[in-house]
Amino acid sequence: MIVEDDEDIRSLIRMLFKKEPRFTVVGQVESAEEGLELANSVEVGLIVLDHGLTGDLTGLVAAPLLKLVVPEVKIILFTADPGLRSQAAAEVAIDGFLVKTEFSQLVPTALRVCNLQPLAV
Amino acid sequence: MTSVSSQVLESEQIDATNYTKALLNILDDFNIDRELQDSNNNAILNIFDDITDEKIQLEETQRAILNVLDDFDAERKIAEKSNADLVVVNESMRNFIGIASHDLRSPLASIMGFASVLAEKWTSYSEEDREFSVAAIFRQSQKLSSLVDDLFTLSSIESGGLSASPEPISLGLAIENCLDFGNLDRKSISVSCSEELLVLVDPNHLGRILDNYIQNAFKYGAPPVHVKAVLVNNFVQIRVMDSGAGVPPEFISKLFSKFARAQTSKTKSTKGAGLGLSIVRGLAEVNGGSTSYEQNFPNGSCFVVSLPALKRSIS
Repeated sequence: MIVEDDEDIRSLIRMLFKKEPRFTVVGQVESAEEGLELANSVEVGLIVLDHGLTGDLTGLVAAPLLKLVVPEVKIILFTADPGLRSQAAAEVAIDGFLVKTEFSQLVPTALRVCNLQPLAV
Repeated sequence: MTSVSSQVLESEQIDATNYTKALLNILDDFNIDRELQDSNNNAILNIFDDITDEKIQLEETQRAILNVLDDFDAERKIAEKSNADLVVVNESMRNFIGIASHDLRSPLASIMGFASVLAEKWTSYSEEDREFSVAAIFRQSQKLSSLVDDLFTLSSIESGGLSASPEPISLGLAIENCLDFGNLDRKSISVSCSEELLVLVDPNHLGRILDNYIQNAFKYGAPPVHVKAVLVNNFVQIRVMDSGAGVPPEFISKLFSKFARAQTSKTKSTKGAGLGLSIVRGLAEVNGGSTSYEQNFPNGSCFVVSLPALKRSIS
């Protein structure tokens, strides 16, 4: 599931995961509130979560709430702000942290937090 | 007998003379004492005079010291105020850099992301994905460019480096041009502006002011939107009124400040750095005008800009 308020970034994340057959994008929303609602209705194993979102909740605040809805879900905080790294590290609900300039690391990070091995090329 | 009597008389005369002399001596002594006394008195008076002079000098010195202390106090207060002003400026600058860098980072991250993905695996993506990516890079570059332009304009306004090149402009035509380029639903906007109304402003600045007010009316307010221009003394007052929820009362005083974004459902669902209205105010002022906000009745916002009218439209 993608929780991201920028349409272009959502498309880019989708494009990246299209290359990895073990992932399917089950939904994409612009706010954490919508994310919480969607997490209740679809089976989700990984959430790529932005921090600054449409709506009242930030990614950091929403992460533990999403884990309450789906305890086994893995969450990557994917943000433009590198200053959030230490706060993300201190939040147990967040499994991975990535700055948005590191797009090429998104799928490898997703594989790592989901305990999956990269496919042999 | 006579001789004895005469002798006695003579003796008495001598005594009297001696007595008189003694008296005169005493009087002389007394006079000398008095002169001494007078002299002493004068000396004492002189001492008193000296003491009075010294007292006056001392008082003057005390007053001078008090004045110096007052001056020190005034200087200290000025220095304290300057320090407080610097703290505010420093804080404002820190916020400015923080917010500006945050707003710049987001489109920059998108551009880098698409570009890096295409550069790494160009051939592995479909034609459609590649076209979308290039278009996204272009969109985000425009966003970035527009934000940099806004920051530059704001910086020029704040440093006093922005100048206006006023020209006579037909306000009605300027509003029409703004609506044509604004990609707006014309059915939900009405304009009331006399064809005679002419303003004397920089055309680029006028376009920016109108565009910001009208776009904001749709973005943060709600249709129908009404634009009304009237002549008031030597100024043309332009009002852009919408039918939305209006600005929260506690936010009105901050409306025209930079990076000001009220916390409403509309602002949360739209992106923006909060620079638009501060730029509008700066542009209006550099053209000799002013901006303000009024509540629209029965609901919504009414943003006002007053711009210098051309004399022909006044007469």
